[in-house]
Amino acid sequence: MELGQMQGRLAEFTKSLYMEGILDAQFLQLQQLQDESNPDFVVEVVSLFFEDSEKLLNDIARALDQQSVDFKRVDAHVHQLKGSSASVGAQRVKNACVAFRNCCEEQNVEGCLRCLQQVKQEHYLVKNKLETLFRLEQQIVAAGGSVPMAEMTF
Amino acid sequence: MEYLHSDIADTQQREKQHFHVLAVDDSLIERKLLERLLRESSCKVTCVDSGDKALEYLGLLDSQEIDRSTASSSFPQPSTQEGLKVNLIMTDYSMPGMSGYDLLKRVKGSSWKDIPVVVMSSENVPSRISMCMEEGAEEFLLKPVQLSDLKKQLQPHLLKLPVHPKIDITTTSNDNGNDRMIIDITMNNNQNVVVSKRKTMTPEPLERRPQMKGLAVI
Repeated sequence: MELGQMQGRLAEFTKSLYMEGILDAQFLQLQQLQDESNPDFVVEVVSLFFEDSEKLLNDIARALDQQSVDFKRVDAHVHQLKGSSASVGAQRVKNACVAFRNCCEEQNVEGCLRCLQQVKQEHYLVKNKLETLFRLEQQIVAAGGSVPMAEMTF
Repeated sequence: MEYLHSDIADTQQREKQHFHVLAVDDSLIERKLLERLLRESSCKVTCVDSGDKALEYLGLLDSQEIDRSTASSSFPQPSTQEGLKVNLIMTDYSMPGMSGYDLLKRVKGSSWKDIPVVVMSSENVPSRISMCMEEGAEEFLLKPVQLSDLKKQLQPHLLKLPVHPKIDITTTSNDNGNDRMIIDITMNNNQNVVVSKRKTMTPEPLERRPQMKGLAVI
């Protein structure tokens, strides 16, 4: 595949992520903060996010598995996950966390387990999508091209 | 008594010229983001992960204060301790242990009370906001913090620096995105602000290269 085609494919793919609400404007902000002095900024932040979020999801699962569920503790973890997903632009993960916090308030274990599933699904989705995004970028750079800046004109 | 080498004195002089922000957040991701945003705005940044660490850095921990009150008068006062200079504190509100609000109160009740404190939160809770503002917070920012929020925050402070800062605010015009307006704000020797505008054309289409010049303090 030649360079122009690869860049076109990346642009289309990126656009779809925004259109589907998987990413929001905060991700664009991260991309804008990447430059020659900070060439891997996006990958670094995203990697930190996935390390952090995987741990949080495990902590939440464990907390919900207790005989007597500490909903405050679950809520605290979800709040953290909500914050970090908002900071990287993982919009659907963030939204799933908002819904989760409502379940925590209701102190409903079944509801919380369903919410956890939802969050995990969105988390898995954005992780796959971003891995694809980074792979496409790497291919372009390896072919000697530069990565076009995403524009929010849609 | 001359106990400082001239080159150390120069470094300290240069250090004084930088706007130094103490950033407090328990989240590693938030700290990384904030540090990047602040460095993009040409600030010197120190990040700590808790209110206690912030107090320790400022020399305000109870143990440190006790040491100072029993020390001899030749020891420097807290706010100028070993030339430590902090121009702004930015703190998250929700942190385990000491909250941003608690930190704000401690700072405002100390020798650092004149340092502006900005509180950040991912939650838009009006009562929380007014509580912080009443306690003397300079501003309350909603997370995720945008570079533009930060520029607005920092601009009046940077203009007050003793040396002559040159601030570039690069904005793109809204029609075809190819024109760029650069606003130069400089301070002349009479401490007057001189604003001049110039237009430049961006020849190539937008690419992933340094776009956000932010505030460049030279």
